[in-house]
Amino acid sequence: MARKISLSALTELPGNIWNSIFRNPLPSSDLGRAQTSFTNFFLHIHPVKVNRHTLKPWYTMGLGLITFFLFVILVFTGVLVMFYYVPSTNQAYDRMLDLRSTVAFGTFTRNMHRWAAHGMVAFVFLHMCRVFFTGAYKRPREFNWVLGIVLFLLTLFSSFTGYLLPWDQLAFWAITVGASIAGYAPVVGEQMRFLLLGDTTVGQEALLRFYVLHVAVLPLVITLLVAVHFWRIRKDGGLSRPPEAESEPGLSKETTAKVDLVEKPGEAFVTSAGKKHFGIQGLVRGPFTKVGNVPDNSVFAWPNLFMAELFVLILTIAGLCVLSLFFDAPLEEPVNITHPPNPAKAPWYFLGLQELVSYSAFWGGVGIPTIQVLLLLVVPYLDRDPRGVGRWFAGERLLANTLFLIFVIVNITLIIIGTLFRGPNWEFVSPW
Amino acid sequence: MTMKKRNEAPAEQTEGQLTRRRLLTWLSSVGIFGSALISLVANAFFIKPRATYGQPNRFSIGKPEEFPAGTRQALDGQRVCVIREGERVCAISTTCTHLGCIVAPSETGFACPCHGSRFDQDGNVTGGPAPKALAWYKVSLAPNGELEIDKGVEVKSGTYFNV
Ligand code: HEM
Ligand code: FES
Repeated sequence: MARKISLSALTELPGNIWNSIFRNPLPSSDLGRAQTSFTNFFLHIHPVKVNRHTLKPWYTMGLGLITFFLFVILVFTGVLVMFYYVPSTNQAYDRMLDLRSTVAFGTFTRNMHRWAAHGMVAFVFLHMCRVFFTGAYKRPREFNWVLGIVLFLLTLFSSFTGYLLPWDQLAFWAITVGASIAGYAPVVGEQMRFLLLGDTTVGQEALLRFYVLHVAVLPLVITLLVAVHFWRIRKDGGLSRPPEAESEPGLSKETTAKVDLVEKPGEAFVTSAGKKHFGIQGLVRGPFTKVGNVPDNSVFAWPNLFMAELFVLILTIAGLCVLSLFFDAPLEEPVNITHPPNPAKAPWYFLGLQELVSYSAFWGGVGIPTIQVLLLLVVPYLDRDPRGVGRWFAGERLLANTLFLIFVIVNITLIIIGTLFRGPNWEFVSPW
Repeated sequence: MTMKKRNEAPAEQTEGQLTRRRLLTWLSSVGIFGSALISLVANAFFIKPRATYGQPNRFSIGKPEEFPAGTRQALDGQRVCVIREGERVCAISTTCTHLGCIVAPSETGFACPCHGSRFDQDGNVTGGPAPKALAWYKVSLAPNGELEIDKGVEVKSGTYFNV
């Protein structure tokens, strides 16, 4: 037996282990890199080639990507904080203090988690604005827009559930007010509120429920939907772009092959020259990024797209680290259920709602938000005009863009009023 | 290639077999999605608590003598304000009917710190976004001689208990 283990097996051991993990050497040609991005688990989310238009920094501004990276950072720092956090009304607040005073890098980790959470809400909104103003929600990307809206709501809900966990005054009263808003929903409102809180008032049951939602349910659902979101980007033919971005700049109109997107399975590409291209893609329904068989305006994802993504990642991490070094996440007094702070304010992104709620609980908290969400959901099904996709503020989209701009401005104005101009008893104050 | 094959019925397959296959497909789909639906309903029942751990609805607040005539005392822990006028006692909720903050007694009645709702001495809305008056709860005298408030039973505004 022992004879079988030859010396060569031992000398080759490191190399054999290495090769069993990395099946191919680091590629040094475009073909090799293309093959590797196809076979590597972590890279195969990307297309092998991307259109040049997609890489223009000012087109997407990397907003969706920043949102995604912030989510990854949130999961990472969130798991770290979980090692010390206890979802109990007796302990939660003290654990926050421990994080501050005794845990190594505790303050920094908590800061990163908190600022990334605020950042994700901000960037998911900016990303939505980008998608709208570039008309990127139009056919065939309607459903990805709908998925996006769901992700936006889930992001808000995650942040809302996380808000209660420190169990300080801010947390308790913001959630008391927020949960009461849910109670105004017609018919099922009170039931929903009871299910959410597990009790009639905010207490231990609510803390436990919010914790479970915040650390398990919502991150899982978001991860799943983000995966579908990315998958759909690929299957919808890559990022939106104007028609003129399809052709190679050097080619004249006549020599540029026009590709009819394959709509039915089993059909082949037919170029304008009448040449047929069969391939595995012939079996797949829908538009997709084609590779290699027609002249096009695309470049290899590696290195062009990967470098851009890496740059955005580094920028995101750097920005977040700087923020977390200089600004500490707030922690107010421990919960005092007999004494609401005056004024009791929700997190900033809900202050627009709180402002509306101070006129009418039903309309501000339930009616108007529901109408807004429903309108957002049907946008791509109402606006069927295919013109103006892939450009910021396209002239053909003047009406749609103006309406959306009004929606954005109204909501931001309400948030500013709620944040800066409301004082004790929600009375009007001047910030100056 | 394989996809094509699956769509074409093999020559030896008869109509009867196809129907059976379809029926089985239908039955198993209904079975699977039906179970999923039932389990969803069961889950909803699961997460709806049957017992709550919060404060009891009924609690005693002490002997009537502890609340002399003219008392207007907010018990924030229990979220009620005990009021005694002469021999009459009542308990008014201090949970704001707007969004659940605790209202504080003011000269004119009650005021809410959260969105500025104001109520008069009897809990009727006099300003702000609150949609309805503060609730009045049933007050009674327990056998041990202490006043008892039952937040499970709302009474009409203006219903006093005579001690
Ligand atoms: C958790 C939240 C979200 C994440 C992580 C995310 C991520 C991304 C990423 C990385 C892209 C690639 C382009 C880019 O970086 O901008 C993208 C594209 C897209 N997103 Fe999102 N997104 C989120 C939410 C949303 C929302 C709220 C909407 C709109 C309601 C939306 C709609 C779209 C659409 C339609 C595209 C395709 C855009 C195009 O083809 O030009 N997404 N998303
Ligand atoms: S909760 Fe009292 S005014 Fe809103």
